[in-house]
Amino acid sequence: MPLLEQSLVDSVIKRALRSGADFVELFVERKRNQSISVEESKVQRVNSGNDLGAGLRIIHQGTVSYVYTEDLSEDGLLKTADLAAQIGRRGGGRFAFAELSGAPRPPQRIDVPPDAVGAEAKIELLLEADQAARAVSGAVKQVAVGYGQSAQEVLVATSEGIHHVDSRTRVRLMVHAVAERNGEIQTAMEAPGMQRGFEFFDDTSAAEYARAAAERAVALLDAAPSPAGQMAVIIGNEFGGVLFHEACGHGLEADFVVKGSTVFTGKIGQAVASPIVTAIDDGTLPSRWGTLTVDDEGVPTRRNVLIQDGVLVSYMYDRLRAGQQNHPVTGNGRRQSYQHLPIPRMTNTFIAAGAHTVEDIIAATPRGLYAKKLGAGQVDVTTGDFVFAVTEGYLIDGGRIGRPVRGATIVGNGPRALHKIDMVANDLKLAPGTCGKEGQGVPVSVGQPTIRISELTVGGTGVVPAGAMRQ
Amino acid sequence: MNAIGESVLARCKAQGAEDAELYISRGTEFTVRVYKGEIESLVSAESRGIGLRTFREHRVGFSYTSDFEPATLDSLVDEALLNGRYNHADDANVLPEPRPFEALTGLASPALAGLDPQRKIDFALEMERRATSLDARVRRVSDAMYSDGSGQVEIYNSRGLEASFDRTVAYGVLETIAEQDSEMQSGFAFTHGRDMDELDLAGVVKEAVENAAGLLGARPVPTASVPVVLHPHAAAMILGVLGSSFSADAVIKRRSLLAGKVGEPVAAEIVTITDDPRLPEGLASRPFDGEGVPAERNELIGAGVLKGYLHNTYTARRTNSRSTGSAVRSYKSVPEVGVSNLVLKPGALSREALLARVSNGLHVSQLSGLNTVNPVSGEFSLGLTGHWIENGHLTRPVKELTVAGNVIALLKKVVAVADDLRFMFAGGFCGSPTVLIEELPVGGL
Repeated sequence: MPLLEQSLVDSVIKRALRSGADFVELFVERKRNQSISVEESKVQRVNSGNDLGAGLRIIHQGTVSYVYTEDLSEDGLLKTADLAAQIGRRGGGRFAFAELSGAPRPPQRIDVPPDAVGAEAKIELLLEADQAARAVSGAVKQVAVGYGQSAQEVLVATSEGIHHVDSRTRVRLMVHAVAERNGEIQTAMEAPGMQRGFEFFDDTSAAEYARAAAERAVALLDAAPSPAGQMAVIIGNEFGGVLFHEACGHGLEADFVVKGSTVFTGKIGQAVASPIVTAIDDGTLPSRWGTLTVDDEGVPTRRNVLIQDGVLVSYMYDRLRAGQQNHPVTGNGRRQSYQHLPIPRMTNTFIAAGAHTVEDIIAATPRGLYAKKLGAGQVDVTTGDFVFAVTEGYLIDGGRIGRPVRGATIVGNGPRALHKIDMVANDLKLAPGTCGKEGQGVPVSVGQPTIRISELTVGGTGVVPAGAMRQ
Repeated sequence: MNAIGESVLARCKAQGAEDAELYISRGTEFTVRVYKGEIESLVSAESRGIGLRTFREHRVGFSYTSDFEPATLDSLVDEALLNGRYNHADDANVLPEPRPFEALTGLASPALAGLDPQRKIDFALEMERRATSLDARVRRVSDAMYSDGSGQVEIYNSRGLEASFDRTVAYGVLETIAEQDSEMQSGFAFTHGRDMDELDLAGVVKEAVENAAGLLGARPVPTASVPVVLHPHAAAMILGVLGSSFSADAVIKRRSLLAGKVGEPVAAEIVTITDDPRLPEGLASRPFDGEGVPAERNELIGAGVLKGYLHNTYTARRTNSRSTGSAVRSYKSVPEVGVSNLVLKPGALSREALLARVSNGLHVSQLSGLNTVNPVSGEFSLGLTGHWIENGHLTRPVKELTVAGNVIALLKKVVAVADDLRFMFAGGFCGSPTVLIEELPVGGL
């Protein structure tokens, strides 16, 4: 069943154009969600829901107006079109909107639609994972496991005659383990996910991820408080890429660039990173969390090199900002749902693999912190200043991995840290995440190989080891 | 009861639900962003959604939809009941019996709906214009936004509950960029109220400009342990993190750092924290919670001692307590336990008098990485920006510093609380005055 009949799509766009708008775009979305959670080894929640709605964007000489609704009846949509035409205002600027180019690829291949699988099979998977985590140690006191799936269908139609559809099916597992000993409490989590059907679990063992989370929570019980001060920091692969995503990736989004509110403004062609750094945003990677065949403006996604051998090559654009800067579209116009305007967003963003091995990097580091896994973080896009939690960390002493540390954070400045990356390993991996910006969350991948930053500020409650301080 | 409520509850009963509850929310939104004297974007919308809980043999089922077509509402019922079949049976899964609640006046501004959109646009334009003319170092604005909304919540359940209330909110957000030599700093500020007329235009402009310009020239400082003064917004953010630990659900699931501490001192004696959903100035105020239980004021920490936890109907039943009217939710979720307006009680001291107590210390205006705080152990290590304090006065700006510790240890080290209560959204609607912490390790160079 199409999301909306072509004739209705046409009449809504025609109606909204009556106000004299330069451009009209209709975005229709249907999304089915299911989530299952197991806590205290019992099925706590099987929840499901439907989101259905449409958003209408009209542009009058550069001024954007947006109206959304959940009423997709002919009457409801035509009223929405009238409202959009009514609130739409003529801006003073020139209307500039980048041309679409490229052909959409076929949608992601889904072998087993998760909706076709009964809740029983999903629950069985979660209970197995729960047991696997609890079996790790008596110190594992609480385990929460969850399963989530979503199937989103979108339609983008514009007054230029563009009509694209995309469907995005995602499945994800979440494991959260709490270990406790002598009043000391530590937690760890794992959350693998892909844009695949239920066949994802043919080659992904929920129990293995559960064990990994539980083992890490238990190991953290023996960790000492992290020292504070400046030192070399090795950042692990996979989710470690969140650091680049937050501290640099956002600064390469064209809405910030257009306003000159990022340090990367006007730096195309300049060295913004150490020459061993190449960074890429690639919306085409098969099955990845942030992959789209077309973005939420109907633009086919592509592989965009952002930084090549340390030199800034490209920003990430939506159609509006690409038009303003007279730049080709890059397929980065995304929105959380029909309730939001599209803005430039990342898809799957990562630092490319380098030549070293992880062992090389550790052996080459006399003293420092090995931040094997990073957790949550925050960044100021204007300055690039960031702070991240280290959820699995070890001291490096004499080129070897030393004792585990807890409570460490790393603090620094993204653009400066890019210049200080002095080793890049060959173990590139990606991890799924939800990226928030202007109140909109969208699924993305972050990623990187293991890298070393020659000097960063580490925050922690422990004593600073002799020799780690630098003035 | 409206027609949708009646027909959905009737179908629930016909399909075998012993009890059922319908949560309907409707809202409007108007948002305008301006840039360089022009409208950048306008958003206007009405939205709606329904969440349904069904109860059968102590199993809860839940489903939601934003599609109000009759066929979809039928499958909403069927899906909730099907989902419930898989969930474990628990005697604590019950609906609350309807109790009369006292209406709260003033939650919604009737004038907002009739306000001319041009006045809202002018408000945003005026914020931007003034922000670029106050200080020679601040000539650009990266975000100037006015937004308002109205929301209506209706709850119907099979025990005869029919309750609804309306609420409005308006806010202005401003982010400026200060520049000097090749350095850039951003400054953020916001103003909020129930109507555009309650917004403080001059105040938000002054604050956004000062926040950006005040950080120019910020430098790291050497690692030290010093007295730390938290700006009300920084303190409110920490309060927001602590908020989740008051949830009885977090306590049951061992995810609260306050578990097992009722009756024990968990903070310094001058610390009193309440959750008050009936606070007149609270933007999270509501006459009843997400299950229709009357909202009430709850003292959580009184003179440093933990008084109790927040409950919804489930956690209350499970722990032999009573619901504190603390169920929070949207139509897309089942009722969880959460805070409303969470307030650290102000003291008698002025902010200046509090600062005067510090001869050499750190004033924290902004904390970053609050989402990295471990909610179970309470351990934190945060990034911060602010100013060094010398002899009671803010002097040079500092940045790229970390402050580390434990939330409970921090609460115990509060030595002074000022009288300048201010609110911000930080999980709930959190309010705090300026707070003086005896000493914290600050990591820098």
